[in-house]
Formats: sequence, structure tokens, C-alpha cells
Amino acid sequence: MLRAPMFRALVLAQLPSRAGILFTTSRMQSNAPAKAPEKIEVFIDDQPVMVAPGTTVLQAAAQVGVEIPRFCYHERLAVAGNCRMCLVEVEKSPKPVAACAMPVMKGWRIKTNSDMTRKAREGVMEFLLSNHPLDCPICDQGGECDLQDQAMAFGSDRSRFTDINHAGKRAVEDKDIGPLVKTIMTRCIHCTRCIRFASEVAGVDDLGTTGRGNEMQVGMYVEKLFLTELSGNVIDLCPVGALTNKPYSFVARPWEIRKVDSIDVLDALGSNIVVSTRTGEVLRILPRENEDINEEWLSDKSRFACDGLKRQRLITPMLRKPDGEFEAVEWESALITAAQAIRNAPKDKIAAVAGSLVDAEQLVAVKDLLNRLGSELLCTEQKFPTADGTSGTDLRSNYLLNSSIASCEDADLVLLVGTNPRYEAPLLNTRLRKGYVHKEQDIAYIGPEVDLSYRYEYLGNRSLTIEDIAKGKHPFAQRLKQAKRPLIIVGANALARNDGKAYIAALQSFARQLKPEDKNWKVWNVLQTNASQVAALDVGYKPGVEEVLAAQPKVLFLLGADGNAVNKENIPKDCFVIYQGHHGDQGAQLAHAILPGAAYTEKQGTYVNTEGRAQQTLVAVSPPGMAREDWKIIRALSEVVGTVLPYDTLDELRNRMEDIAPHLVRYGHLEENNFYAQAEQLIKTQASSFQGDVDVNQKSLEDFFMTDSITRASPTMAKCVAAVKKAQATG
Amino acid sequence: MAAREPAKRIIQQVRPILSVDREEARQRVINLYKAWHRTAPFIVEKFDIPKSVPQVRQKLKEEFIKNKDVSDVRVIDMLVIKGQMELKEITKIWKQKGHIMRYWQESIEYKPNDFLSKFMSGHN
Amino acid sequence: MMASLIRRLPKASTSFKWIHSTSAVYADDPLKHKEAPIVENDVILSDQEVKEREKLSHLISLPKEKTLAPISGVPEEHVKTRRVRIYVPPKNAMQSGTHNIQRWRMEFDNRERWENPLMGWASSGDPLSNMNVDFNSKDEAIEHCEKNGWKWFIASEDKPKKERVKNYGVNFSWDKRTRVSTK
Repeated sequence: MLRAPMFRALVLAQLPSRAGILFTTSRMQSNAPAKAPEKIEVFIDDQPVMVAPGTTVLQAAAQVGVEIPRFCYHERLAVAGNCRMCLVEVEKSPKPVAACAMPVMKGWRIKTNSDMTRKAREGVMEFLLSNHPLDCPICDQGGECDLQDQAMAFGSDRSRFTDINHAGKRAVEDKDIGPLVKTIMTRCIHCTRCIRFASEVAGVDDLGTTGRGNEMQVGMYVEKLFLTELSGNVIDLCPVGALTNKPYSFVARPWEIRKVDSIDVLDALGSNIVVSTRTGEVLRILPRENEDINEEWLSDKSRFACDGLKRQRLITPMLRKPDGEFEAVEWESALITAAQAIRNAPKDKIAAVAGSLVDAEQLVAVKDLLNRLGSELLCTEQKFPTADGTSGTDLRSNYLLNSSIASCEDADLVLLVGTNPRYEAPLLNTRLRKGYVHKEQDIAYIGPEVDLSYRYEYLGNRSLTIEDIAKGKHPFAQRLKQAKRPLIIVGANALARNDGKAYIAALQSFARQLKPEDKNWKVWNVLQTNASQVAALDVGYKPGVEEVLAAQPKVLFLLGADGNAVNKENIPKDCFVIYQGHHGDQGAQLAHAILPGAAYTEKQGTYVNTEGRAQQTLVAVSPPGMAREDWKIIRALSEVVGTVLPYDTLDELRNRMEDIAPHLVRYGHLEENNFYAQAEQLIKTQASSFQGDVDVNQKSLEDFFMTDSITRASPTMAKCVAAVKKAQATG
Repeated sequence: MAAREPAKRIIQQVRPILSVDREEARQRVINLYKAWHRTAPFIVEKFDIPKSVPQVRQKLKEEFIKNKDVSDVRVIDMLVIKGQMELKEITKIWKQKGHIMRYWQESIEYKPNDFLSKFMSGHN
Repeated sequence: MMASLIRRLPKASTSFKWIHSTSAVYADDPLKHKEAPIVENDVILSDQEVKEREKLSHLISLPKEKTLAPISGVPEEHVKTRRVRIYVPPKNAMQSGTHNIQRWRMEFDNRERWENPLMGWASSGDPLSNMNVDFNSKDEAIEHCEKNGWKWFIASEDKPKKERVKNYGVNFSWDKRTRVSTK
């Protein structure tokens, strides 16, 4: 028995029956627009527009180009309708209607600029401002504040507030919700956007309102940390300066900032970001809207790790002196020393290991150089099963998230194996949660018990479960077979283990047996954790450092390889290690020559995300000190060595990349992957056995923050880890 | 796409500036060149520059050769007009010695052109 | 005939008053001032000039090439080495207004900026650092870049906005997960 929506009862009780506006039951209680595709005609400011039935007044006005002011309405959150700023006049109605919540009826004439509408807006604004503190000069949101803009555009020009001399404005205590979000709750206008975000998108039901009327406060009711990896998004959502960016507080005003669009590389999704800079330093990172990847959200790591770009940077080329210390040298000496080592090494003893933050230009340049020198030893730090028995990385569909990130919300049954998407790819997790909330998606999980932001079916962490599902013995296998759009997502870290081949052998062939309704629906997916892994595998790097270490190289290039795959024990004692990266992390300590490169905000580089979509970062600031762009270092080195690479400019290098793999330069475009049948045929079911239980690398929030060289250098991330550990210790 | 798409060959109808076809534009360019050629001794004498007349004529040739690949008639007309303006400024002695010596760019430090020097010297 | 074409000016009026005023706005009739006679140009053209004008009044056909670089005044290195990015500016994540995203914009690649030691402002050696031109459509922007000889690339897609279903009733669904669990 469905409950009738409340506003219908209210409206019917108060509207006179002569109003001529009929409310039909079925439309009100439907959760989706009516099946009939015929559109309704509505008039907005005397302009007719045809809209699908079920569209709200606000959406219909947006189609015409009229933007109705609002505070609480957000496209990606549920409708709240509590700010009342969107009130517009509808002809023949004595009361204005909340445009964000009211679905249009046929023939309605909506006036967005009439006297009643304007009076409503001025009234609402007056109420909002009457309790709002006079904080604009010290508020971080000044200049990009919805309240400021809408007060100027829609508010009254004079104030009637005389109460300041009597009862005054209300004041509310600040709540401490963590080292990332600064709260000044006096400024809160109770739009409840943060509450709806935390509840719907982030999955933590911590924020809520206490009290009513003037005493209403938004908060957690108890002193608790806002423990979610998406906590920074409430800063964007809050229309006033109540929730602001704590590391960025009092740093800059929005009009002195230069904005550069770029891509985030701290996880494999390639979320679109806007890098805000001033006088050549990165101040903050904001999300950019991209419907296909990150919608409008950004994970905390990507948002707040930008202060790691200033610490532990390599700014001069360095050479190791005979006593073991590093000495800063000029570029000529460093390049000449490195070139001498390369020329002295035998042809097949030069190797390269690619780390997790390397762009495709660099990968192509290094591969070209090493191939010209006669070496094929190029590999990535993270392993992927390539032993005979699988097609390894020859077929792209083996190592990509084949159903794109956006289609993950359309699935109806998802199986997660050996991956914790909440901390490995938070924005994929929001997609899964979106499907879970809105599209009745069921999610099952094999791995150690972790807290995902939605309820999932826990199938245990024994690898036996995977074998059972693959053979069809497990009851879940039946559910997968009956699902119309099943998804199997395997984590890259699970595949990087020694028994990774077993996962592929079991699950990939099982994925082929499933018959989704839509022939184009892809079941088998791999969630990568490194931003450079897909590009490296596309260009032709071999996954895993074993082959390189087995060949006992004399010269080893470490391209930002800080992941401990290569360390002091592995490398031969007489190996000349050249480290090219931007942070002085583990890799730099092993090196004999350090060539400082550029971080992702300082170079125009191509990164391919886990679904196979190529995107490019743009130059926001120039590399510090004597650091240079990465591919240029390799090109200069090649000239000193003697085998000059055939490209001088970025365009020529990108032409070369296009020759190798055309998708690398088709930015923003997602290629279809195929050869699933062939991939399955190449899997030979040998004795592939699992070793140990299914495990994930990041089990809880404190593991999320520090995963690569930039985040390890960031003081904000250190504070987050400390705060999370403290919160979990105290309960 | 990394680079722009190839320019398509479209014929467009435009308003002419001075010449209607390439022949006429060519005649204008040659007339201008001759006028400049004749002014070379005037320049050396009146502005007292430390160059000789053959050197002035050599520089004149270089400047004209720089634009030899221009094929749009209107652009050629604009360049001719600019050349005429420069010539007028010289014959009326509105320019001074420093302006004339600027054509030789003797005090300009040329930025490195090859990859390795550009790499060593800076970010671009 | 010539005289008839010269506009006749009214004679200076005898009722001209001398106004003592330091104001810039006088209270007199500007038509009463003596001016040079206005001569129509067309009348005094010679035959040759008439022929020139006639020749230039028709359109000519030219193949379209991007050759304005020599006369645009931009130094050669800033035509050859710079890359133009044509995009729709992204909506500011902190606000909900969409006024700034209705146009296409072109910007140049970022060059180095540093802090000026005098005031702490941002200095740059790049003359095109603030060169942001707005256009109504992608094609206009492309044509402009082609005309000036810059290399360009498109960084935004022309995708229409996704239609979303917004329904207040789903907040109160009985058995669906869209039931709101917080206030």
C-alpha cells in the first residue's frame, strides 16, 4: 500500500476547487515519467515548450533558458523543497509553487518574473539574510557564493532588519567534522544539501538536523568525524560558506585564481578536475562535470593532495657521489653521466620500470629509446597475469573496465571480487551506490569484510567460493545466470598476485557463459588502481618486474616507480639506476642519477583511465626549479646518447603515439573492446590454483589516503590518516 | 584529436582590398620593391647608418623573401600597404637611425632553436 | 552644378548672444557656427578613380587559406609554437549558476608564472597569457584560429544536457531504496 505524497494532501486541502487544476493520482505516485512519450505543452513567460510529463517546473524553465534561483535543489540529489527560493507564480494559483518539486501540468502558464514571484524571492532572501552573519569579508565562499549572487540578483535592495539591536541574529557553534571540512555553522541556511549528499551519494547517514525553527542546527549531533572518502564534496555543495575547504581557508579569493582544466591521476578513473592556481602555485583542485566518469564529485585524495605537490620535490638533477650522498648537478653533467652508463651497457641489459603516475608520452618516449638501443625490457610495477594459459595483456578487454563507468549504474547484479571500490575508485563506488539506490541493483562481494557504502551480499573471502561460482555450483552463480545485466568486477591488485591467473581462468570464462539481455553488455571488468597502467599496457609494456629483474640489467630506468616492486635487494649491485620522477620517494633513494620530472599538474600528458578512455592533463604551473617535462628529458637523453628520437615537439610525439595506438590521442572518446570470445578460447584451464584467501589492499579509511608519492608527501593526507586512526581508536 | 583537422580547400567570395588577382598584386609588389631599391642610397646617406648600400639592398631582399609564400591576394595587398607606409616614413625622415638599424636586429639575443639548447635553457 | 551640391549653411544669426559661462554645455545652436563647406567626394573623382572603384566593388574568388599570420602582428614564435584550446568553460563547482557556460572560449597553453618580488603579484613572460576570446559556436572559434594560423584542438564536447527525472514522491517510497533516511 503506497503512501500518498504529503504535498498532495496539503494542496488539495487548501486550493479552492474553482482553481481548475486537477491532480491525477497516478502521475503523482509514479516513480518515473508516464510511459506515454507524448509531451506536454507548458508556457514559461509566455513561451511555449514541450516537456515530457513528470518534468518539474524548474527543469522546464531550464529547457527554455530561464534559470530559477534555488539553494536546496541539486540535480543529483533528491528533491527537498525546503529553501523556497524557487517559488514561481503559476497563473490561476493563489500561492506560488516550488518549482523544484512541482511537476508541470498541461497548459500551465508559469511566470518567472511577475510581481508575485519577485516578491516571493525577495521575501525568502530577506528571511535567509536575517539570520545570516555579516561574514562576507572573512568568508572563504565570498566571490563564489550562491547567497551573495542571488541576493544581488533577486533580493531586495534595502534591509528591514532592526532586530540587531534587540534579539540579534542567531549564532550556532561550529562542529568539528574532520581535518578537511571547516564548518562555520552560523552561516548555514539549512538547505540540507550536505545531509542529502551524505545519505544518498556517500552512504554515511551521519549528518542530519536537530531542533526546529530558529534552533535548527545541521550536524552530527555527537562530535564525530565525517568519515567518508567523499567528504570534500559537501564543500562544493554548500551554497554558503558554512562548509569550506579547511586546507584552503583564507588562502585566495576566486577572482584572483586562474583555472586550468585537467585530469586527476591519483586513482585510475581519471576524474576531471579544475586546477586553481595563482602566481604559479597550485592552490586547490575542484571537480569538473563529466557525466561519464565522475559526474560532479571528486574523492578526497584527489581534492586535498595538492599540497603534496610542493613538498619533497626533486628540483635539480642529482648524481650519486662515490661516498653515497647525492650531489646537485647541472643538466649537462647528469645527462652525460647517464648517457655514458647507457652506452657502456650491453644491448639487452637496459631496462625500464614504469610507476603509477607516468603519462603516455613518457612511456612512448622511453619505449622508443630502449627499442632503438636494442632492449625490450620494459615493464610496469604492477603485475598482471600473462603466463601461458591466458592471453595476458594482448587483448585490451582483458585488463579494462569493459562496461564503462557510466554503465555500472545500469547493471542489476554486480559481483565484486578482490577489490574494495570504495577506496580504490571512490567514484566508481558512487555509481554502484547510485544503481543500488535508484535502479534496484544488488551487489555481492568476495573478499575481506569491509564497509562499502551500500548493503551487499557477503559471499565470504575464500577463494573456493570463486571456484564454485565458476563451476556453477554456488547458488550465486544461478543468480548471475538469470540476471539481465550482470557485472563481474575484479580488482587489479587481486590479479597482481601470484595466483592472479586463477581469477582470470575462473571468472573470465564464467563471464562468457552468462547471457545478458543486451548483446553489447560486457560482463568481465577489471578495476585498475594505477593511472598509468592501462596506457603502459596499451603501448606495450609488460606487466610485472620479474622479467626485468631476471635479466639482471646494467642500466635501469625507474619512471616514478615508488611502489617498492624494485628495491635494494632485487637490483644487481652494479646496476646504474636512473630515476625520473617528481618526488623524492623510495625510487629516488635507489638511484645513481636523478632526473627531475614534472607532476601531473605541470605537464600536458595523456592518461588512459581504467575504462580505456584517453584524457589529457594540461599545464597549470611550470615544473619547479630545474625540473622539465618528462618526455623532453628522454628526448634530450637520446640526443646525448646518440640515438636521437625523431620528435622535437609534443605534436610530433603525439603523431607517433597515434601510429602506435590511435585511441591514445582520441581524448574523451571510449573505444569499444572486443575479442572476448578469443580471449576465452586462449584461457587454458591448466592446474590454476588459488593461493590463499581473497584480500584487498585497502580495507579501511586510513589506508585510503596515502597511496603514491604525491599523497605520501602531503601534510593534509597525514592529518587525515591521524584523524581517522584517532577516531577509530576512541570508538 | 591531437592536432587540428586538415584545412579544407574552400573557395570563398571576398571583397578585394587593392588588387583583384595575383598578377596585379605581383605588379604592386614589384613596384614597391623597385621603389625601396631606389631609396637605398638615400637611406645610407641621410640616416648615416653604418651599413653600405649593397647591405641595405640585401636586407631589403631578405625582408621580401620572408613573405614569399603568402598567396592570399588581400594579405599581399596589406603587406604592400604596410611596406608603402614604411617607405613613406623613411623618405619623409619621420624615422630615425635607430628605427632603420632595427631591421638588422643586431642587439637581439636569439633564443635557442634546437631541442637540446632549448631544453637546457628553460621550460620551453 | 557643383555649387548646388555644396550644402548651404545658414548665415550667422544676428541674435547671437555672448554667454558668460564656464560650463562646457553652451546654450547656442551648433548649426550657427561657421564650418568648412561639406563637399561630396563622389563628385570630384577623376575617371580613373571611378574605374578603380568600379573594379573593386565586385567580389573575387579566392581559395581559403590561413594566411593572416603575416599581417596579424603576432610574433612568429607565438604563432608557430603556441597551441590554442577551444572549450566550453566548466561550471564553477561551488555555485549553481550557469551563465558562464553558454559560450565557447579559446585559451592558449599556460606558460610559466612566478611571484613578482615587488608586490607578490603574478608575473609572466607570456604576452598571450590573458588572451581569452569568446565565441558563440565551436565553428566560429575554429575559423578564427585557422585565420590566425594557430594550432588548435577542441577540448569540450557538444553534448546536450542529460534529462533527469526528479520526483518528490520517491522520497517517501514504501519499499524502494530511494526512501529518504535522513531529514
